[in-house]
Amino acid sequence: MLLEVANLSVWYDKAMLINNLSMGVDTGELVSLVGPNGAGKSTLLRAITGLVAWERELTRRSTHGEVKLEGTVTFDGERIDQVPAHEIVKRGLILCPERRRPFREMTVIDNLMVGSYLSKDKDEAQNNLDKVYELFPVLKNRTKQISGTLSGGEQQMLAVGRALMSKPKLLCIDEPSTGLAPILRAEVFQKIGDISKLGITVLLVEQDVSTVFKMTSRNYVLSSGKIIAQGTGEQLLQDEVVRKTYLGL
Amino acid sequence: MRLIFFYLGKLFTIIKNEVLVLPSRVAVGLFFLFMLLLPLFTKDIYLLRIFTLTSIFAIFAASWDLLSGFTGQMNFGHALFFGVGAYGAALLNLHASIPPWASVPLGALCAVLAGLIIGIPCLRLRGTYLALTTLAFPIILTGLIFAFPSFTGGELGISGIVRLTQSRVGDYYTVAVLMLGLCTVMWKITDSNIGIIFHAIREDEVAVRASGVNTTRYKLLAFSLSGFFAGISGGLYAHFMRIAGPSTLDLFLSFSVVIYAIFGGVVTIYGPVGAVFVLFPLLEFLRVVQNYRTLMFAVVVLLILLYMPDGLFAWLRDKIEKECPRCKIRNIATRHTCRVCTAPLD
Repeated sequence: MLLEVANLSVWYDKAMLINNLSMGVDTGELVSLVGPNGAGKSTLLRAITGLVAWERELTRRSTHGEVKLEGTVTFDGERIDQVPAHEIVKRGLILCPERRRPFREMTVIDNLMVGSYLSKDKDEAQNNLDKVYELFPVLKNRTKQISGTLSGGEQQMLAVGRALMSKPKLLCIDEPSTGLAPILRAEVFQKIGDISKLGITVLLVEQDVSTVFKMTSRNYVLSSGKIIAQGTGEQLLQDEVVRKTYLGL
Repeated sequence: MRLIFFYLGKLFTIIKNEVLVLPSRVAVGLFFLFMLLLPLFTKDIYLLRIFTLTSIFAIFAASWDLLSGFTGQMNFGHALFFGVGAYGAALLNLHASIPPWASVPLGALCAVLAGLIIGIPCLRLRGTYLALTTLAFPIILTGLIFAFPSFTGGELGISGIVRLTQSRVGDYYTVAVLMLGLCTVMWKITDSNIGIIFHAIREDEVAVRASGVNTTRYKLLAFSLSGFFAGISGGLYAHFMRIAGPSTLDLFLSFSVVIYAIFGGVVTIYGPVGAVFVLFPLLEFLRVVQNYRTLMFAVVVLLILLYMPDGLFAWLRDKIEKECPRCKIRNIATRHTCRVCTAPLD
């Protein structure tokens, strides 16, 4: 297993957002994580990528209550639950945060250069940049444009492109289709499929179950911080309880 | 000899192709020339004194922009760095008789230390909370200064410091050249990879973290860099005025730097510098109507902000230059096609 999460629990004060959860992603897979609002999908990604631990540091001794994290996360054979977020990125586990987050006042190229912060080698950065441009030709045409003026779909592609600049082994994408028109959604999903074909393992969090299940090799259904079902898209769609209760199909 | 001509030719080509094509660059070039040549035309001590002080505050305003404009760490107590730089240089000069060329940088290093000391507890705070916390630090330091009058001079401050140089013109040149140099350095920093990360932190710190950047380190770097430049300006001020008093930690100083920056346009470096060169002499000039001085100052600031919300210099730049819609290269506003890709403008 490339990524293995074992008995992970996350508390924000008294609320238990992730409840003794175990899951795993194998090299080369395209795995999705679906579930209703508030199921803990984003929290799980943030916990895996070390952002919850960072938040715990920030809110230590604050009046809002403590953030607690238990259990183990293993990536590429090493435990990473005690490792700071920016170190986790160095190992190739990269999060593309939700709600399309390019740096809105900066140009497209500057956005991508932040992503290539880790490659000290200029050739390597240029190489990554070429790859990203190959995947997203639209970004190449808009190198010097201020990213806040891009369309929603382009901003999402820029966010994914920025994550790709850090040379991920495992790319976690959080809700790429939020707030996009159906035609743009299809395009974004197709690009994610392309990324997966390049040999990059992808862990995708999504609400749009019908599209996602057609692309993925395995899926986890998350509810109230627990994994309540897993399997291929077909299996899950046939399961009446899962369909009605959790997927709303 | 030939080599010299070769380099002169090269310099000339660069000036022709890179500087003369854009009015904003020409303006910056003229500003450099004006600052360097001013004493040739006037020996008026009052005028030189105003421009020296203006240059000192220009460094100070630009350093605020580096921290609060670029990195987004709202600092309402920027006078702390100025004051620590001033007191540091003054104490070193008076007690250890270190000459100005060493005491000013050493005072600035004290300010860097102050930047780190306030930066570490402030790392977890954002926005208004950060602004209020930073506001408190200069007040705390003022209290400390009043508490130990034998060492710090109390309300009277430390006087009897060595002059920056032996003449007014010398003072002017030292400060003006330092101002031009340091502001160029700051502008270069914001233009580099570090600057990109500073800017990205201001926009979205979580996303920067998720790209593998240790944002804590970069925020501390911003605090110390900004502290260093502000400390230099404080040290220069102490040696120029030959006194370091509690007024260097004044609340008004902290706020006026915010006014300068917003007036000129934040996130530009040149904006705050230009704003100081407009507002500081203006405030001096308004001494002819002593009673209404600050009122008129406020009216000017309000009018500018009302009609040019992005700042005076950002507005001016937008008026004299157009951005090519295709290649995003800036062009003089009188052109109809882009100078690089020949795409039609507007």
